[in-house]
Amino acid sequence: MKFRPFRVSVLLLSLLIPAALVAVVFFLVAYSGQAILFNGLHFMTQISWNLGDLYSDPVTVSGISVPPGANYGILVFIAGTLASSGLAILIAVPLSVGAAIFLAEAVPHRIRPALSMLVELVAVVPSVVFGLWGITVLIPLIGRYLSPSGNGYGLLAASVVLALMITPIIASTLYDALLQVPKENRESAFALGATHFEVVAKAMLPMVRTTLIGGIVLALGRALGETMAVLMVSGGGINILPTSLFSPISTIASFIVSQLDSAESDPTNMSVRTLSEIALVLFLITLAVNATAKLLSSGALNVRKRQS
Amino acid sequence: MSASASLKVARSAQELRRLTISKLGWVACGLALALVIAPLVDIVGVVTVHGVAALSGKLFTQTTSGTANGLLNAIEGTFIITLFAMLIAVPIGIGAGIHLSEYGKNRLGGVIRFLSDVLTGTPSIVLGYFAYIVFIIGFGWGFSLAAAAITIAILIVPYLARITELALQQVPNPMREAAYALGAKDHTVVFKVVLPAASAGVITGALLGLAISVGETAPLIYTAGWSDFTWDGRFTHAPVAYLTYVIWTFIDQPDAHSHALAYAAAFLVMLVVLAINIAVRLVVRRTRLV
Amino acid sequence: MKILNNLLRSGVAALAIATAAGAAHAQTSVPLVESGSSLLYPLFNLWVPSYTATHPGADITTTSTGSGAGIAQSIKGLVQIGASDAYLSDAMVKAHPEMLSIPLAISSQAVNYNLPGVTNLKLSGPILAGIYEGKITKWNDPAIAAANPGVALPDHVIIPIHRVDGSGDTFIFSQYLAFSDAGWASTLHYGTTVSWPAVSTAIGANGNSGMVTAAAANPYSIAYIGVSFADQAAKAGLGQAALLDKHGEYVLPTAETIGNAASSVAASTPADERISIVFTPGENAYPIVNYEYAIVSSHQPAPAIGSAIRDFLGWALNDGNNMSFMSKVHFLPLPAAVKALSQAQVDKIQ
Repeated sequence: MKFRPFRVSVLLLSLLIPAALVAVVFFLVAYSGQAILFNGLHFMTQISWNLGDLYSDPVTVSGISVPPGANYGILVFIAGTLASSGLAILIAVPLSVGAAIFLAEAVPHRIRPALSMLVELVAVVPSVVFGLWGITVLIPLIGRYLSPSGNGYGLLAASVVLALMITPIIASTLYDALLQVPKENRESAFALGATHFEVVAKAMLPMVRTTLIGGIVLALGRALGETMAVLMVSGGGINILPTSLFSPISTIASFIVSQLDSAESDPTNMSVRTLSEIALVLFLITLAVNATAKLLSSGALNVRKRQS
Repeated sequence: MSASASLKVARSAQELRRLTISKLGWVACGLALALVIAPLVDIVGVVTVHGVAALSGKLFTQTTSGTANGLLNAIEGTFIITLFAMLIAVPIGIGAGIHLSEYGKNRLGGVIRFLSDVLTGTPSIVLGYFAYIVFIIGFGWGFSLAAAAITIAILIVPYLARITELALQQVPNPMREAAYALGAKDHTVVFKVVLPAASAGVITGALLGLAISVGETAPLIYTAGWSDFTWDGRFTHAPVAYLTYVIWTFIDQPDAHSHALAYAAAFLVMLVVLAINIAVRLVVRRTRLV
Repeated sequence: MKILNNLLRSGVAALAIATAAGAAHAQTSVPLVESGSSLLYPLFNLWVPSYTATHPGADITTTSTGSGAGIAQSIKGLVQIGASDAYLSDAMVKAHPEMLSIPLAISSQAVNYNLPGVTNLKLSGPILAGIYEGKITKWNDPAIAAANPGVALPDHVIIPIHRVDGSGDTFIFSQYLAFSDAGWASTLHYGTTVSWPAVSTAIGANGNSGMVTAAAANPYSIAYIGVSFADQAAKAGLGQAALLDKHGEYVLPTAETIGNAASSVAASTPADERISIVFTPGENAYPIVNYEYAIVSSHQPAPAIGSAIRDFLGWALNDGNNMSFMSKVHFLPLPAAVKALSQAQVDKIQ
């Protein structure tokens, strides 16, 4: 095969991404090694989380030095992560699809740039500001109108804030893709007598399906990894599994942030090592989510092929 | 006659249903846009109102002292961190996106695409702590611009790569085939045909990356540190200030003055990105890439 | 590629400007960085401008990162002064014998409540432990009623609010519970983070601002809030609970009761000053009181750095240790005996 310098150079550039990921994962595995040994598998299925007494002398448990009473279980945070990100996607996808369609097809050309810029602007609002908006506007609303106990902190608040943060990602990628749909495709659908909405829903949306799924996966990644805003509105659930939309939760990412400072005063370093292990678990979740998304999108494509 | 009449009625009933569904569809879409826009307007509005109220010349001419005085050090710091992060990330991200879209329809491309998506799911605090242990402690760089810029670059490269890829994929294949048929080389096809056609999407990706890098807090706390002074030109062993630290820290202070500075910083973050956003679009339009 | 070229060109230009700006700020002095406790941060922000005004050439940056980060960064030499609400543990001192824990000031904490119709609530460590453990769930619980005779307590579920982020406020609050309630001491200990028991009505809030907001938004809630936020808590309509001290009296946090607590342990403070002053035996002494520490290495890499730290901390212990600074953040100066101990530790910094 002929040597193609351009192809090789972009390939090398793209290989930097997996290289960075491998470096981070390698670091996390190496760093959390002792914690993986100490925590075993019940780490993932256990509800109670306790850093232990960081101010007493460490004790030795099966050959590993840990703070007395240290006991790490992360089921609560896995549940909180999946629930809040899942709910956020459920809220964000229909909203973004609707908003992108309306923006691309129904809004007069003159105000379109302003609106699309506003949607993009949201990607710039620091997440602390989202958190502040959450506690001053959203949480009182949830507390007054939805939550039976009157307490607005918890799963729903976290999911809505996350949904708001990821909507622009999905909406703007979809919006750009809709504008790229060739004129011929639209016009031939119109020629068949389809209404404008049918053109959009039946002719244009299927064409941008891969873009949409790609955007959703990106957005899900952002939701899974968001820290500050979630920390401020989620109610910081610990040692308790969520049972309703208004239960306090913690996500893995926000939990790592909330514990890291205390973990740094652990003389045995086991707390920080365990937090690294949790980060590995989040990697596994992201991996699983991406794999599922991939299966879903390819499966959907196969069905369509068979029909046509 | 009666048969055709009933057919007509049936058709018009069906027609009516289609029209109604279409109407309802538009209403739903409009409602979705309103639901998305309303909170955003509120958030942007709150930041703008509080931020504008806190603006003064002092912000741009004085450095921070504790939670008082100006934000010159933070504005400059955010600017240089973002600049160097983008200098690292844009070539890598767009190059990777080109590979994925143009030559990545194979197993290797699939693996890279998949791992890139996984990397976007990494919480920024984990990247921050990774950089803290590796760059700050391991390499002994101390809190520094180099560590901050590299960390932010790692954070945004996968976004750039995937959005570039998604944008390039929307370019119809016949355009590429035509270019190749005219004897164009790989890089000519990409740079003269595919990238220009998809420039809007690629720029969206770059701007999203820029926005993320200006708006990030968690990874910078562990890499940039904080400094009450402007950057002294060193890439290592010199902590750097940044705007999001001001927002994150000052908002949790008891006094109104700190809150005002925090909102001013939030407003500046938005303003800076908005300005770059508009500027880049103008440049792109003028160079006729769109 | 025009975009890239343009970006690159503007980048180079920006670099030149940035470098020029950096060069203008030529450093002749030793730059010091303080990092750590968000509780101490406002006090450092008052100190540093006064100090630099009278000591030209001093170059001190203050940052708020959390006590744990402050300690870790100070040990690693990333910053020169770690600020912490907690002294170093025995294990930490054993691992890093060069690290000093130097008290700089005295802080305290209020237990605030949002209880419609009630303004003079009395609480004890065991009651608070019961609330945060989920054993006391209603405001009209017999234990609370016994401490508050004659107060009409509502038949309503209690909403306990705690910090989600690691915090010195959690550290001293959990010390009060651990020192006054044996059950809490044996299971939950104390620390900047606590393994909060499962209480379905509990709320975790971020930062002291978040605590005030959450308590104000939720009637029938209770929260522990650093004394620097006393004005905010009062403005939000939150009540301040009188807490049971070791003598069996209910005490409100005032300059007098906090001072009593501090002076009652001044004599028993050891030379390395690593001692808790929560729940002290003094009379009329508020129970949640704390030394705020600078965590500093006694072996600095260069003599100039050591002397810069000595000068600043020495100033903070003398000129800086008076009510004109302290009252703005509701802190108190150190008792004279403790000040002397701190000065002796500062003098060890090389």
